[in-house]
Amino acid sequence: MELSRQRRFVTPAPEETIEDLAARALPDQPLQAAVDSIKSWNLHVFAMRRPPGLMLGSDVIFVEPPLAHG
Amino acid sequence: MREMAMFDVIVRGGTVVDGTGAPGFAGDVAVKDGRIAAVGQVSGEAKRVVDAQGRVVAPGFIDPHTHFDVQLLWDGAARPALEHGVTCVVPGNCSLSLAPLKASDRKAVVGMFQQIEEMPPEAFTTAFEWTWEDFAGYRSALEKGLSINVAPLVGHSVIRLWVMGPASQERAAFPDEIAAMQALLRECLEAGAVGLSTSFVDLDEHGRPVPSRYAQFEELDALCAVLGEFGRMLQVVPEFYATDITIARIDQLADLSIRHDIPTTFSPLFDTLAVPDNAERAIARVEEQFARGARVWPQMQTRPIDISFSLLRPSLFFARLPRWVRILRQPLEQRVAALNDPDTRAKMLADLGSDGGEAMFGRLVARGGDACPPEYVGKTLSEIAGLRGQPAGLALIELSLENGLDVAFLSAGQGHQSTDRIGPMLAHPLVHIGASDGGAHLASFSTYGDTGYLFSEFVRKAGAMSLEKAVAKITSETADIWGLKDRGRLATGQCADIVVFDPDAIARGDELPAFDMPGDGMRYVRAARGVDTVLVNGEVAYAAGAYTDSRSGVVCV
Repeated sequence: MELSRQRRFVTPAPEETIEDLAARALPDQPLQAAVDSIKSWNLHVFAMRRPPGLMLGSDVIFVEPPLAHG
Repeated sequence: MREMAMFDVIVRGGTVVDGTGAPGFAGDVAVKDGRIAAVGQVSGEAKRVVDAQGRVVAPGFIDPHTHFDVQLLWDGAARPALEHGVTCVVPGNCSLSLAPLKASDRKAVVGMFQQIEEMPPEAFTTAFEWTWEDFAGYRSALEKGLSINVAPLVGHSVIRLWVMGPASQERAAFPDEIAAMQALLRECLEAGAVGLSTSFVDLDEHGRPVPSRYAQFEELDALCAVLGEFGRMLQVVPEFYATDITIARIDQLADLSIRHDIPTTFSPLFDTLAVPDNAERAIARVEEQFARGARVWPQMQTRPIDISFSLLRPSLFFARLPRWVRILRQPLEQRVAALNDPDTRAKMLADLGSDGGEAMFGRLVARGGDACPPEYVGKTLSEIAGLRGQPAGLALIELSLENGLDVAFLSAGQGHQSTDRIGPMLAHPLVHIGASDGGAHLASFSTYGDTGYLFSEFVRKAGAMSLEKAVAKITSETADIWGLKDRGRLATGQCADIVVFDPDAIARGDELPAFDMPGDGMRYVRAARGVDTVLVNGEVAYAAGAYTDSRSGVVCV
């Protein structure tokens, strides 16, 4: 059974920073652009959480924008 | 001459709906020694005969998502759950349980229950003696007075807290700590836990993520390996309001289910007209994962999500207003002072946006039955604000202050607004009916009566499923999903958990405030309608509108 494609995600490694995670998840992008992208795709962590940006080991961190659903 | 059979109980002359989904049939159900001894046309006598003429005789209902952990210690019937026909409840959901728990950590966990499940701290300090630390001790404390059956989960957050102490809310676990958690979980499962619960969303009373949220996936995977030794359940509460994250969680659960051969369930499966494809996409992913061999059961509640609140108590209604939460959590005197303080009030009102709270509060309705002036009862806050010549937010604060804060408002339709949408989802073969939150959110809404509502709204009114199917969804299917042995069916040899109800009348009663909880005291409840008799392990626990002295409930796995 092949699963339909869904939005790709990773989970943070212990002690990992947003920069570490961005470099791991988006190695082909310049670091700052990768960080900005990760932040913009994960407002549940980087905007809505208090304190913003507190990454937890159980978090889902998307590494691509939302997919189109028709 | 053949001796006449003698039973403990015979339920005579009803329509037997046996929990399998098969058509109901006219017959009797006989009980002996806590088990079902015969089903069909039963000859013989019994010490007690229950007349079921014109009634349905069904297996007792099973509620798989509750927070009765503490209430069961002073109320072994989990009232009013039992009178609705519920004969088995699953407490310990959402990463929280009352064991294993060191005495030094009790306050922290009580704070989490207070914050997450909206339960007054007095409920944990005034109504029972806290004698245990380990899971076996908690089970023993429970078993002293159960009228209802209990299949308790153990919470990931408390396991983490036991092993890691304060570091459980600071960092990932080290390998030796994960091994210690595995050993502790194994001990709990051996002592009767039906599975493990975890949470990806909850905060403690200080606004910090609960311990389970600090766990790496590897930690959860290691704990699921232990669940696999027993074939037991993993329950999670995901980010149910965000579709992509819910789907990611479904995928994680599916991987864990397949790798460790365990059932998993997430609750709630949430439907809202604001995100109309949320539940639909989640169900589609569940279908794919089941086809792949995983067991990921979405739990969906039957009732619409209607939230009530007053400024007398903290409420999840204000979850998106952290300043309001902080103020409403203060002791009464300080809370009133803060609401009267011009600077504080200005900041609170500023939090509501430029419309003065009209969008956020305008559709609230004054419930009545409290200190609300009669001329406002039944009116929206928008109408009340208009009559008072104030913005909605200010009207809410000042009307509350003028009446000792005892003015309750209802916010209806926060989710699950449409019967036409919910009915087919509840009937879906992979959707697990549950998520009642029984025993929690005491001052926000009644968590009792979802089973009655299933019959009144989705069987009788909407015709979304047959009565037999509805019974199966909350009896045999639940027992099978959770691995509850000998429960959920009316068949010879099964445990005699039985409910007798009027198929034309079973429903939930009106939501009313009750003042029967320890300490703070208030909760919303709904009485049962149309339920005649409830048997638990062969003993009549509820009949003719009254609870009996029976204490036949057990911890069952």
